[in-house]
Formats: sequence, C-alpha cells, structure tokens
Amino acid sequence: MLAEWRAFVWDPRSRQFLGRTGTSWGLILLFYLVFYGFLAGLFALTMWVLLQSVDPHVPKYQDRLATPGMMIRPRAEGLDVTFNVTQSQTWRHYVHALHQFLEPYNDSVQAARNAACAPGRYNEQPDDAVANYPKRACRFNRSLLGPCAGLAPADHYGYGTGRPCVLLKVNRVINFFPGRNKSINVVCAAKRPRAKGDLREEDAALLGPLQLFPPNGSIDLMYFPYYGKRVHVNYTQPVVAVLFANATANVEHHVECRLNADGLRADDERDKFAGRVAFRLRINRE
Amino acid sequence: MEESYELGPRGKAPAPAPAPKGRGRRKQEKLEDMKKEMDVGLVEAVAAERLLRDGPNELRPPRGTPECVKFGRQLAGGLQCLMWVAAAICLIAYGVQEGEGDRGSSDNLYLAIALIAVVVVTGCFGYYQEFKSTNIIASFKNLVPQQATVIREGDKLQINANELVVGDLVEIKGGDRVPADIRIISAQGCKVDNSSLTGESEPQTRSPECTHDSPLETRNIAFFSTMCLEGTAMGLVINTGDRTIIGRIASLASGVENEKTPIAIEIEHFVDIIAGLAIFFGATFFVVAMVIGYPFLRAMVFFMAIVVAYVPEGLLATVTVCLSLTAKRLARKNCVVKNLEAVETLGSTSVICSDKTGTLTQNRMTVAHLWFDNQIHTADTTEDQSGQSFDQSSETWTMLSRVVTLCNRAQFKPGQDNIPVAKREVIGDASETALLKFAEVTVGTVAEARGRFPKVAELPFNSTNKFQLSVHEAGERQLLVLKGAPERVLERCSTVLLKGQELALDTQWREAFEGAYAELGGRGERVLGFCARWLPAGTVAAGTDPEALPEVAVGLCFAGLVSMIDPPRATVPQAVLKCRTAGIRVIMVTGDHPITAKAIAAAVGIISEGSETPEEVAARLRLPLERVDPRQARARVVTGAELAAMTPGALEGLLRAHPEMVFARTSPQQKLVIVESCQRLGAIVAVTGDGVNDSPALKKADIGVAMGIAGSDAAKNAADMILLDDNFASIVTGVEQGRLIFDNLKKSIAYTLTKNIPELTPYLIYITASVPLPLGCITILFIELCTDIFPSVSLAYERAESDIMHLKPRNPRRDRLVNEPLAAYSYFQIGAIQSFAGFTDYFVAMAQEGWWPLLCLGLRPRWEDTHEQELQDSYGQQWTFEQRRYQQYTCYTVFFISIEMCQIADVLIRKTRRLSLLQQGLFRNRILVIAIVFQVSIGCFLCYCPGMPNVFNFMPIRFQWWFVPMPFGLLILVYDEIRKLGVRRHPGSWWDRELYY
Repeated sequence: MLAEWRAFVWDPRSRQFLGRTGTSWGLILLFYLVFYGFLAGLFALTMWVLLQSVDPHVPKYQDRLATPGMMIRPRAEGLDVTFNVTQSQTWRHYVHALHQFLEPYNDSVQAARNAACAPGRYNEQPDDAVANYPKRACRFNRSLLGPCAGLAPADHYGYGTGRPCVLLKVNRVINFFPGRNKSINVVCAAKRPRAKGDLREEDAALLGPLQLFPPNGSIDLMYFPYYGKRVHVNYTQPVVAVLFANATANVEHHVECRLNADGLRADDERDKFAGRVAFRLRINRE
Repeated sequence: MEESYELGPRGKAPAPAPAPKGRGRRKQEKLEDMKKEMDVGLVEAVAAERLLRDGPNELRPPRGTPECVKFGRQLAGGLQCLMWVAAAICLIAYGVQEGEGDRGSSDNLYLAIALIAVVVVTGCFGYYQEFKSTNIIASFKNLVPQQATVIREGDKLQINANELVVGDLVEIKGGDRVPADIRIISAQGCKVDNSSLTGESEPQTRSPECTHDSPLETRNIAFFSTMCLEGTAMGLVINTGDRTIIGRIASLASGVENEKTPIAIEIEHFVDIIAGLAIFFGATFFVVAMVIGYPFLRAMVFFMAIVVAYVPEGLLATVTVCLSLTAKRLARKNCVVKNLEAVETLGSTSVICSDKTGTLTQNRMTVAHLWFDNQIHTADTTEDQSGQSFDQSSETWTMLSRVVTLCNRAQFKPGQDNIPVAKREVIGDASETALLKFAEVTVGTVAEARGRFPKVAELPFNSTNKFQLSVHEAGERQLLVLKGAPERVLERCSTVLLKGQELALDTQWREAFEGAYAELGGRGERVLGFCARWLPAGTVAAGTDPEALPEVAVGLCFAGLVSMIDPPRATVPQAVLKCRTAGIRVIMVTGDHPITAKAIAAAVGIISEGSETPEEVAARLRLPLERVDPRQARARVVTGAELAAMTPGALEGLLRAHPEMVFARTSPQQKLVIVESCQRLGAIVAVTGDGVNDSPALKKADIGVAMGIAGSDAAKNAADMILLDDNFASIVTGVEQGRLIFDNLKKSIAYTLTKNIPELTPYLIYITASVPLPLGCITILFIELCTDIFPSVSLAYERAESDIMHLKPRNPRRDRLVNEPLAAYSYFQIGAIQSFAGFTDYFVAMAQEGWWPLLCLGLRPRWEDTHEQELQDSYGQQWTFEQRRYQQYTCYTVFFISIEMCQIADVLIRKTRRLSLLQQGLFRNRILVIAIVFQVSIGCFLCYCPGMPNVFNFMPIRFQWWFVPMPFGLLILVYDEIRKLGVRRHPGSWWDRELYY
C-alpha cells in the first residue's frame, strides 16, 4: 500500500511524478496557464466594461435605500450609552468622540467651505451645461446645536452633569428628497421594546423632558439632496442633538428616535435602523 | 433430523412426515392406500388440505434486515455522515450565538434543519428505490416459477413447485431441479448433483434402494434444490419447504447479505473520494481561516459551508434513478437484468459465445428447399410467413405435396383452428412437424386431404430401413407413398416425375439427383426424398403386416426432395452485423453437426460472405490442408473432437488467427474451455446458455445470459441476465443499452460535479479575499436538490451518440466511469468558467447597487458587522446592516441564476462527449428540454415568489442580471464544441487524451 503510494508519487522507472512525466506536467500546466489566462483576461475585460458602464456619480439602483438609516453619536457599543456621572473615565470617550465628530461642523470651517443656503427648500443644483459639475454644500453650523454644541474645549456635552447629549444623524442617500417639500424633523420618545399602555407613560416620566437642537429637532430641507461624494465633496450631514435634561438616574431608559417626514416609512419590521434608531441610556450616580 | 426421514423399501410407508415411529405397527389398509398412491398420486382434495396444513413448498426467505436498519443505513452513508457533521456544526454555532445573546441570527438553525431535511429526504428516496428494486427481483421470481411434474389422481400435471405437498408423486428428469425432498421409488440412470448440499461435485446415482441409515448418505433420497443431471426418476415427496434438509440448513445460516455490485462499489468508491476531498478542502480552509485570524467558531462554520458546497448532495439519487430507468427499459426489451452491474458489464462485452439452437435460430424445423422438376425451389422460412413462395403450378408439385401430406404421422393438437399454422402445437417429431405445417400452409387443410385418402397400412420410420411408407385408398386405386433418406428412396425408384410426366430414371437423372442432394446437404439442411406409386385397388389389404410392405414398394416414381432446417431468427443477421461493427466478436458454440453449424453461421453472418475456412482455401488452391496458411482463412469450424485434442495454447492461437469461429459438436465442458481461452486473451465474454451443464460456463463468463423460455433454473440462477424471448438480438440491445447507460451516467455525473466548483469558489474567495458572501448554503442546497436534479436525470434519456455501436468495446480496467479527464474537465475548466460567470454577475449586481469591485475586497468584516448601520458605499451613501443583508441575498440569487444559466449550457454540452451538439440534435431529447424549462421555471419561482427573501434568501433580481452569465454559457458551448472538434479530428492526440472523458 505504502509502496504503491510511493510509486504513485514518484515512479523512478517511468520518471513519473504523481502519474505524469515532466513533459506531461509541463504541457498540462501550460494548457491551464493559457486557459486561466484567457479566463482571467475575459474576467478583467468584463470588469473593465462594467466599471466603464457604471456611472461614477450616481448609482444605477438605489431601491435598497428607500428609507435612509439613522444612527446616533456617540457610537456606543451595542447602542448602549451607559456612564457614571462622577467617574469621568466612563464618559470621557463619548465626549472625545463627539468632539471629533463635530470638528468639521465648526462655524469657521463651515464658513470657509460651504455656502449659506436659502432655508426651507431643497438645495437643488442641476447640471446645466457641464455634467457632474461640483456641487456646493450648505452650512450646518455647530452652534445650531445649542448646549450640545460643545464649543468650549473642556465642554463635556452634559455627561459630567448627568444631562447628556446624544446626536442623531440620518444616513446619506444620493438624490434623496425627504418630506415631499414639507419640513421634516426628528422625534424622540421613551420606548421600551414590546411595552404597553401604562408602562409607556411610566417610562416617559422616568426619562423626563427631552430638548432637541436645532429646535423641534427639525432638519432643514436645504441639506437635501446629496449629490454623492465625488461632486458634493464638503457635504455636511445635518445633525440633531437630544439633550436628556432630567433623566432619572440609575434606570435603564429605552429611547427611540425616528425621522418624521412625509412619505417616509420608518416602521420596517426587520430593519430597526431604517428611518429610526433605538438606543439605551443609563446614567449612573452614586 | 434422521427420525423424520422415511428410508424406503425396508417396508416403511411413504406417508406424510413426520411419520409414526416404529416399523412394525403398520395397518394393512393403509398400505393399500399407499400402493394406490404409488400409481395415481394424491387426490386433489387431500393435496389441497395438506398444502393448507404445511404451507407452500418454498423456503421462507431468511429474516432480512429489519426495515428500520435498512432505512438507518440510508442515513449513514459517507456523504450523509458529512452532512450530519455539517448540521451539528450549524447547531453548535447557533447554540453558541444564542448563548452569547446574539438573537439576530437564526440562519444557522435554519441551515441545520435544512441539512437534516436533505439527509432524511434523500434517505427516504434511497430507501424507496431499494424497496422497489427488491420488489423487481421478487416479481421476477414469480415470473419464472419453478415447475414440477406431479401425478395426481392418475394425471400427469405440471404445477408450480411451491404447490407440492408431502405424499405427492413427482417425476424428475435431467436438467430439473428437485422440487422437494423426495424418496425415489423408481429411477432410470438418475444422477444428481448434491454439491450445493455436500460440496461433493461428483454426480451421484439415485435409485430406489436404501443404502444407508443416514438420509444424507442413502441413495434413495433426492434433496430439495439439488439438480438432477441426467436420467429420470419417480419419487414421493417426504418433506417440503422449510422442513427439507436444505431448508433447515438455510434457516440456520441466517442473514446472508447480498453482494454489492461492482458498479455500486465503483460509485461508493467515488463517493468516498468526494467525501475525502470535501473534508480535505474544508480542513484546509479551516486552517487558512484560523491563520488569517477568524475565531474558531467562524472557522468551523466555514468548514461546514465548504463541505455543503463541495458535496454533490443530489448525485446518489441521480445515479440510482438513471440505473433503474435503464433496467426498466431493458425489461421492456425482454432482458431481465438480475443485477444492475450486469448492464454495465454487458456494455463492455467484446466476445459473445452464443448457442445456436433457439438463440440464433427459431428452434423449429422448417421446410427450406424443394427439388422437383430438376430445379431447386425455395420455401418460405420466415417466422411470420411473410416471404416469397415458389411456383406451385407444376403437376409434379401436386404429387409431391400429396406424398408430403399423406406420408406423415404428425397431426395438430385439436382445438387450434384460430391459431396461425406456425404457432400450432403438433404431436410428432421435428421433421414431420415441419412437413405437416409446410403442407398445411402451401396446400391447405391436411386433415381433409387425409380424409380423402384413408390410410390402409403403414410402416413407420426405423433406423434400418431409413424410410417410412404408407398405403392409402384413392377411389379405384391405392396410392403408396414413401419418404426417407434420399439414397434409400432412390434405390426403390425406377421413374421420375417431370412436369407430371413419368420419365425413366436414367443416369443423367441420377446425376441431377446427386447434385441436388449434395447441394442441399451442403447447406446444412436435412434432406428427405419422396416417391409414390399408384397400385391397383386391393393390392394391400387393411391389416397387412407392415413388415411385408417394403416388398410392394419397388419401382416407385420419384417425386422430389424436400430439405429442412432450423432457420435463423429474422432479427439475428442484423444483430450479428451490429456486433461486428461494435467490435464484438460472435462465436457460435453448438452441439450440432459442423455442416449445419457452418450453414447457420454463414446465414446469420457469423461467418461473413467471402470468408473461407482452411478447407475451402485448400480446395480453391488445390493444396493439401496442412499447407494452407491459417491467415488466409478468416473463418474456421472446429469440432469438439478437434478441440479435445488441442492444448489451451493451440486454442488461443486459433482464436487469434481466425476472427470468425464456429465450434460444433462441442460438449458443455468444452464451452467452459472456450470461455476461459477467450478471457485469457483479455476479452470480456458474454455466454448464452440454457442447460444445467451450461451453468459453469455462465458463471465463468463475465456475463452469463440465460434463456427465459428454454433455460433451466440452474442456468437462470447462474446467469446475470435473462432473455425472456431467447433472442440473440436482445443481447445486442442489452449491449447497446449497457454502453448507453455507461455513457449517460458519465454525462450525468460530469454535469452534477461541474457545479460544485462554482458553489465552492464563493467560499474560498469569501474567506481569502473577504468579499461579502456571494452564495449562501441554503441556495447551494436548492441548486443541488431542486433545480439540477431533473436535468441530470434527463441525461439518462439521451440518445446514443450515433456512433456508439461503431466503437470498440470499452476496457473496464482502463476506461473508468469517473476518470481523471472527466473530473479535471468538469472541475477545472467548465466549473471554472461557471465560477467566473457567477463572480461577474455578482460584481455587476454589487456595482450597480453602489458597491464597486475593489471596495468589496476586504469589506467582509464591516459588511457583516451587525452594529454597523452606516457603512459607506462607493458613492458615499450609507447602508444599514439590514439593507446590506438584502443586498447580500440579491448576490446569492444572482450567483444562483448564473450557475443555473451556465448549467443549462452544461447540460447541453453533456449531451455528447465526442459528437457535435448539432449532430446530436439540440431538441431530440424531449425530457432534457422539459428539464431545462423546469429548471428555469423553478429559478423564476424562487426569485419572484413573494416571501422568498425572508424564507429561503432569494431576492427578486433585475432582468438584466439573467443575461450577464449568458456570454459565459455561450463560451461553455463554444469551448466544448472546440474540444469535441479536436477530439474528433485528432484521435489519440494530446488533446484527445487530456480532454476526452
């Protein structure tokens, strides 16, 4: 058995390695080299044709993105914003993340890069004669976020005082016109998964009042549409800040925020992040 | 054991067993009864009563494997075990994820359930197939029940052996299987073969004397299921069914397993290799995944996925269905195959040793030629009387036909008026039967003619006279008619009839007679002479001593010669020709006379036109026989006597030197020698046989073919295949079907294996290049078990590539079912093209939705991160996890459709291995066309049925994505046409060796 194997691997009599002689191996490898060379060439060609055929600015299809996703900042592990007011190390990374996130929103940066747009309507910039002409982005000033702007370098976005800010953002989708020309806003509420009647009110009471910035959590239409990263280079995503002014400490709060826009469905059974976002908040105090 | 045996004429009654003990207490009247029974057998009522009491005379089949074990075995094959492991890994992965509180993904649970379902469903299917094939064998057993000759109420009856009861009087003769344990009461030269019982192969004499106390030793007991080799015997049944000696032994030796057929072994072997490769691939990538840095659990899931992708789940079902389809097809064509392997062996047959009588010929003497008016006339020998008849206007014919009609003792059995003459049963010997039927067909009702000429006296045929004569009243005269060996007939003639005129029988006529006689005899025909003479009324009185008749029969008038032969079956010459073109040598082995054998061999084409035997060459060249170069003579007739004097080496030399061989006057033992010689020359030998004595040859042959009608049970048992119509042409059909199924199985397997590569590569790329998963496990299962099963089975319906019977028989040691070129071509060429098609379509679908190919590389960790809800695509858009998941399902579906599209091309190219597709005809195989339509419909259903995305991970895909893989399908078609062209144009070249599977 072993000898048979050895003879199969290397047969000194017929000078065969794994059942083939050197020439035979050479020929078959050459054949496969040519064959796969051809296939790889064909594949490369099709890929090239494909890349030539796709528009670099606008995706061919966007049907997966009918409802844009929503996300919070700070991006807590498992969407669970938990910290201890007195222990700064439990919230410092949140503050740091928010600082970093809001860096491009600094009024100075915005003033330098972006244009002041007319509020209340879509900022449409059609290509008149030149295709894919670079688009100007509208200013979103950090100061719009009020107390959640964290303008001072030492600002801790309320985490040090137990009145934390959470920022909400809507995913970018190209040529997305939300709200059918009517104003859109973000609403937040306490919502425990699978909670009913009384419990809800109880939860809302525990969570206390919420303050939204810009006021009413509204997102101006001028930030839409988005023209894609190539032409809309400095596009600044609008942000809404939620300030939990008086949330009960040492309790787990379930908060759900959703985008409130005409014609937008935010109740997908499976996608919990389409047009809404749910997160947990727990403020610990000793 | 011994007490219950009746040991015979020491005076013990042959009463039903168990008999009363004690030999002295016997009632006189009972003995009287017994004596009566000895002559007339049992009364039917008693027999029925005993049958009811003892049960049928058959061995209860040994308790087979319990059904649940059989079913269990279906669930525990090599591939099934792999699937179980895969399911277990899925369940573990699910359990661990669940334990970690990751409630999102129950995909692994679904997959585990799907895998278990697959194993169970295919197990049920395999079980059902096994159940059905067991039933086929069972029904076959009923088809050819063993018969026994029994005497009941004084009548000799043929009944099924299982209806025998204790006390029955039965008759056995050479070639029969002893139908029960029998005590012999009379025997003539009866010998039995007890080898199945005692291992002694010497034939043993059976006689009525009790020679020993042990039933196994004594001479007067013949045992159930042993063979009676020669002679006849009469005996009383003393034990039936399970109470027979063999029944007791059989019930002791329980649970004898059926042997696996070679093709089953080959398939299992190949399945083991596949399973081994799957584990190898899985393990390799498990290690790769671990090295790359995937967590252990993920690596295990990869392992599982690779196993699922690589294992051809539907293959076993496909093979089983293909084989049983062929068995069914063969059964319709009168070949009952005892094991499926036989079909496959038959396909590789290179020599057929065929009997003559009954197999090549019709097994009935038929008038072939007549000589009268100094002319040879040809009679119609076709089975259905569709041939040409001869000129019947001559008056000589009138006389000749009268002699033929009258000088004949054969007669039709009554009550057959509505049956065609050829099929009627006749009482009489073979030549008289032939003459009777000939007369009935050509002249008209024989009985009526005989009525007009009542017989006065007759002298039957005997071997001293070699003639037969009878005298009939014919109104005013008497007519003496005589037939017999031509030379004896001529001795008694003085005149001869020519167109009704009596002429003197001069030397010229004698020469003409000799010429005609030699001519007809040289054709291997049996020749009889006929003559007659008118006598005055009262010349022979009724009741005259027949021995005195020859004195009257002198100075007769010669009417003519009639020659008879057992003519070849109509379909045989064509079948022999087919064998010849298929590279199969047909050798005739017969016990008949060499001249007859040679004549039939020439008539059916075993000796082809223009071929000469050494004797003929010698005669032509006027050389002594010894100086004839054997190479000049293609044909050779060897007699048993010559064969006996030959060394095996000499026989091999003869077989090599003469392509056309006829063995005549051979004994069955010599048949075995011939078979062995052929096998030593490397041939795969098929042997036909019917007698008991043929069974060694049938067993020795690579494939034994028994005759369903003429065959003895021993022959049928020894054979692998049974021809229900005894027709040689059916063997050729079998060969054709065998070659066809071998080819088609190859095609099916090649088709099935191909798609494993495009199923496997997504995982390999997924693991190594970290692209979002292009093809899911559930989708793979759908390809394997849903869409691709029907097309792969439909290849079994593929017509033979038109040259299948023009090729040399395959060499089973070299031309394997699954060979290296087949695997390499399927896996590394067509499979590779399919993979490229899948990936092209995948990247197109991704790019058109916003994910460009380069972005996809390395995207997997972020893509699969359930917490990542804002993953940026190539345009700057952000995607939630769920949005990406549906995109991934879209990819699965797109890849699935790509494989389907390529598999359509694949099934089309698999239609032929050598011929161009256009030569084969694209739409000839309707089933295949239906299968493709079915495949596409299932594909559409899976894509567009609402609810599919969340149930089976199929998404409705865009119309154009169906077309992306089509150029690759076209490439497959074109490439394979080029391959086939090369194979056809340059046989034996490197291209042919590497690419022809």
